Amino acid sequence: MADDVRSLTAALARDPSSLRYADLAESLRRRGQRDEALRVALHGLARHPQHADGHDVLARIYSDLGDLDRAQLAWGKVLELAPEHPGALKGVAFVRFRQGDARAAVEALERALAIDPSDEAAQRALESMRRDAPMADLPTAELPTAELPTPVAPVPAPPVPAAASPEAGAGSAGAARPSGAKARPAVFSGFDRATADILLLDERGLVLAGGLLAPNGADVSEVAAAGLAGVSGEAARTAQHLALGGWRTIVAEAESANLVVAPVGSGALLLVRRDRSMPVGLALRFAERARGTASTWLEGQGA
Amino acid sequence: MSAPGADRPGSGAAAAPPARSGPGSSAADELARALDRISRVRGMRGSMWVSADDGLPVAQLLMEGVPGRAVAALAASLVRKVSGSAGAVGAGRVRFVQMEAAGGTLLVALAPPDLLVVALADGRVNVGLARLEMMRAAAAVAR
Repeated sequence: MADDVRSLTAALARDPSSLRYADLAESLRRRGQRDEALRVALHGLARHPQHADGHDVLARIYSDLGDLDRAQLAWGKVLELAPEHPGALKGVAFVRFRQGDARAAVEALERALAIDPSDEAAQRALESMRRDAPMADLPTAELPTAELPTPVAPVPAPPVPAAASPEAGAGSAGAARPSGAKARPAVFSGFDRATADILLLDERGLVLAGGLLAPNGADVSEVAAAGLAGVSGEAARTAQHLALGGWRTIVAEAESANLVVAPVGSGALLLVRRDRSMPVGLALRFAERARGTASTWLEGQGA
Repeated sequence: MSAPGADRPGSGAAAAPPARSGPGSSAADELARALDRISRVRGMRGSMWVSADDGLPVAQLLMEGVPGRAVAALAASLVRKVSGSAGAVGAGRVRFVQMEAAGGTLLVALAPPDLLVVALADGRVNVGLARLEMMRAAAAVAR
């Protein structure tokens, strides 16, 4: 990734009018250097205001920065320039979903799939949203989510099942999976609630392994992964600005559960959700063990 | 330590007096006393009250060199992001966030409806004690 940035920077230095600025901005964004990515994208778009892919990258940067209004405007611009731009349609879906407008999100994904029916990410997201649509249609004010003004993913806060459950070790081959869990690599085989409370995702918010279930058994892994994707960048930015070095873990104590989020390898992110009855220190140890397992697995995948 | 925006009632290792509202005790005094208690936890580099909505410092007690405004803004932004994610995974309202990094720890307690207690500490911090003081402070202002 660092080589990408170097080579793209060199390419732009040789030809400042190149459209490679969008690739450079995207590479910087993925490295968590969002301020720099924003600067590159805006600079490039000043030269190429009709470049749809440039606006698409700009929208993703704004999304990472938590500025969903600007992200939505930028993706809107992309769709003005390229009405069938799949990235922008999925981006609009993401923003609308985060804003609690599941219907608009579904419509955008349906448009994306009408253009490219083989888009598996859009298919998965659409399935997930349709499954959760009745909950998503709740007015935001009724959602018992975060108390701060923030885009909330429309999954109501449920009581998390007790840590000990019949689903323990469900990720192991041959073991019964919780009814709603999808088949994924059995990375966390042997861990308590391996496919219900442990999720491994990549920096783009795509699920790699594990799973997260709602109390009704619905698999909410993809929704959760999409919501978590920005946390890693935010943590990296915070640590960098405060000269804290690399971040290791984030622990969030919430009403219904404790969450541990940790980076794994290059760009992956681990989420462990534990019942409030488990002490935070123990949850951290559990997450550390899961991180080791995930890291080993990712190395085995060549990731 | 510097304490722009808050009067600091002295420092030292002695136990801090309990924060107590009453005649002659302003809200600012109470916020300052809470910061003073938090600052006595070993490894603490600074603590602040921050407006949750805009990430601006309300009161702070920081060691020299700690960038108060940056800490406030970044902590509020991180909490917003984490809270959104907690909603997405059905964990409910977030009450406390700790981010551990190689060179220190950022701690945030949410004090509804609109304040955050933020602390920046080095690697020696007793997180459990800091958390207790911060949650106590948050609960006091939420009353």
